[in-house]
Amino acid sequence: MILTFLRIAYLRLRNNPLELLLVFVMPVLFFSIFAMIFSQGIAAGTEKPLRLGLLLPAENVAAAELLAELQQNTSVICTELGSLPMESERTQRVVLEAQNSSHYDLLLLLPADFSTAEKYRFRMRLVTDGQNAMAVAMVRAILEEYYAVQRVEGVLRQMEDSAAEATAERTAREQLSIQRELSRRAALSGSGAEVGLELPAIDAAENAGESFRNPSTPRELFAGSGAPPSINPGKAPSTVERLASGLAPPVDLVPEVPSELGVEVAASNKDVERLLTSGPKPQISVDNPQATDQQNPRIAMYAAGIAVLFLLFACTGHAATMLEEAESGTLDRILISEAGLLQILAGKWLGIYLMGCLQLSVMFVFAEAVFRIHLWRHWDGFLVMAGSTSAATASFAMLMATICRTRSQLQGAATVIILSMSAMGGSMIPRFVMSDRMKELGRWTFNAWALDGFQKVFWFQSPLESLRPEVAVLLGSSLVMLLATLLLSGRWRRGT
Amino acid sequence: MTQEQRPILTLHSVRKSYRGRAALQGISLKLYPGELLGFFGPNGAGKTTMIRCICGLLKPDEGSISLQIPDGFRGSRSSRPGLVPQNLAVYPDLTVQQNLEVFGRLEGVRGADLQRRIDEVLDWSALRDRRRSLARTLSGGMQRRLNIACSVLHRPAVLLLDEPTVGVDPQSRERIYAMMQELTAAGTAVLLTTHQLEEVETRCDRVVVMDNGQIVADGRLPQLVASSLGLPHRVELLFKQPCAVGLREFEFDEQRLTAVCRLASMQQLPAVLEVLQSLPEPPQAINVRSFGLQDVFLALTGRSLRE
Repeated sequence: MILTFLRIAYLRLRNNPLELLLVFVMPVLFFSIFAMIFSQGIAAGTEKPLRLGLLLPAENVAAAELLAELQQNTSVICTELGSLPMESERTQRVVLEAQNSSHYDLLLLLPADFSTAEKYRFRMRLVTDGQNAMAVAMVRAILEEYYAVQRVEGVLRQMEDSAAEATAERTAREQLSIQRELSRRAALSGSGAEVGLELPAIDAAENAGESFRNPSTPRELFAGSGAPPSINPGKAPSTVERLASGLAPPVDLVPEVPSELGVEVAASNKDVERLLTSGPKPQISVDNPQATDQQNPRIAMYAAGIAVLFLLFACTGHAATMLEEAESGTLDRILISEAGLLQILAGKWLGIYLMGCLQLSVMFVFAEAVFRIHLWRHWDGFLVMAGSTSAATASFAMLMATICRTRSQLQGAATVIILSMSAMGGSMIPRFVMSDRMKELGRWTFNAWALDGFQKVFWFQSPLESLRPEVAVLLGSSLVMLLATLLLSGRWRRGT
Repeated sequence: MTQEQRPILTLHSVRKSYRGRAALQGISLKLYPGELLGFFGPNGAGKTTMIRCICGLLKPDEGSISLQIPDGFRGSRSSRPGLVPQNLAVYPDLTVQQNLEVFGRLEGVRGADLQRRIDEVLDWSALRDRRRSLARTLSGGMQRRLNIACSVLHRPAVLLLDEPTVGVDPQSRERIYAMMQELTAAGTAVLLTTHQLEEVETRCDRVVVMDNGQIVADGRLPQLVASSLGLPHRVELLFKQPCAVGLREFEFDEQRLTAVCRLASMQQLPAVLEVLQSLPEPPQAINVRSFGLQDVFLALTGRSLRE
């Protein structure tokens, strides 16, 4: 008897291709999508270089040196956005445009007087849109490392200068002392004979200066100890990190020196420590223009992602009533009434569209009430995006209902397509963690366009004009799907 | 209904094919005001295709379909036929009243006229007490009545019903046919398709038998029987032993174990039975039956009904 039930289950599955698709193909499809996201996106084992946009002051040597340093770093892809200091009035506009383009994880702005030489002042501004939380930490670490290197080099130069001065002073003192001694001896002996002098102390001091300098530029120190410090939360911070962050005195940065100069070294250690701990800290400010007046801009994006996903399901479910009506004969009754097919389609589409707008509104009003996404401030952008998104989803639902023959067929096909679109389009996983290739693939789904639009409204707080591409794509795809629906709508009359 | 009247609906040599398969092969038909026409035929005979063509849902490949609205039905609304699909073609989550309002509006009936028509239809279908009930909570018979009621709000001159009494208990069926009679009495031409032989035979003014996309018979049942089978009643005598006596009016088989007689009217039956009394050995069994639509169909198509 149990075998009979097993056979029934097997036969039902075998005779239902859509169920087979859902049971066996769908999981594989989803696995593939997520595998593509996580194997090539930010969560991949191989690190994806950060895209850093730079706004550097013109004709600034220190800025050029920093750029050269960053360009050597394989963790970062640098793009110069212009020769503008961060104080410039045009800078804000360039920053906004760069952020809206979503081509950069982070923007680096330098002041006109940026310098590493003058008192080691190191002032800069990082601008983030908050999408890539790791970008700020990584770039800050790179910059602080650079700062530390510059400082240590400066300290070492100072120490070299101090050592040279001390040597010269001591030599002069010794020569003076010798001359006095010679004068005293001459006075005592009265012979006036000249005595030849050797100055081993001077040579020793010079040698000591060489041995002090040779092995230990900061870069050589890093080279000797391995790779430059990297961000690794599992490890204790490196010397440079500790040094830069002021957590530890820079004693271990001071090179070994001959023992005969122990007194001077001790003095030098203190000097290095004093210089590094008492000097100006790196002034790296981090700005998130989107977050300045928002409690949590990401919430708006997640609200949009979830809303679009469920909007697709709701709209498809609503469109399924057409199949229900066709199956029961209600549609035939309506088709021969005063309402023609065009009116029926228009009425159905409008119903789904309004329901979509309402559903999005409910979602965002709730998000506003609970998570403060500043809906009222962006009401115009929200209305534009909600209208465009609902139009696209309504047309999609109508097309699906027209193509499918039965409700179960629609349900199965819609589940496969909607979940795939949502996974690729960013409703399930934020698009900013995806690889560029996945992002491009996602462009074939209108989820991606809808989410990009909502992101511009609530996160980037972009003006309405910036929504043109998203609105054009959503309304365009809506129109195309509606036309396809109209072309295929003869099936409603045929009843097949 | 008189044949002298002008027909409301006229189909002339209507042909319709689906992907090369002929669904209708030159159908010609006339439907008169106040007539209840039964459309009878097996599944796949072309009944539904024909109804869809009449409704305008399908365009015939050839032939013409014309509708002549009598004076009693004025206005463009009445020129549209009412359609009662086989399934429950109403919104189950709306109340009876809401369903009537919705379908009335779709048919162009609005305002006070709509409310008046709803009241009339509620009385006509005996659903007034349940007008605030959701359609899905109604009994099967009530749902069928609501299904029909939604189709007559615009006073159609022609009402097309597809299997209106499927799955309905006898009491509700009576109620539905009473509604049909009221409609035909008001001049509405009703065309219904059914598989219920008894319904077609007893309720319809005229019967059209359809098979393989063709009309194989069209007329009142006695006419069809007469034209296809001759005398409509049959008396069959079964003997245990070969009958040695000859019987006038009866035909014997070769073994003389079975004798068959055809009667023009059942009124002749007493006379026949009286003859049997003179037999030395009475027949083991006497079967008396009247020819029906199934016999007509069998005679015309050479096979029994598929379904």
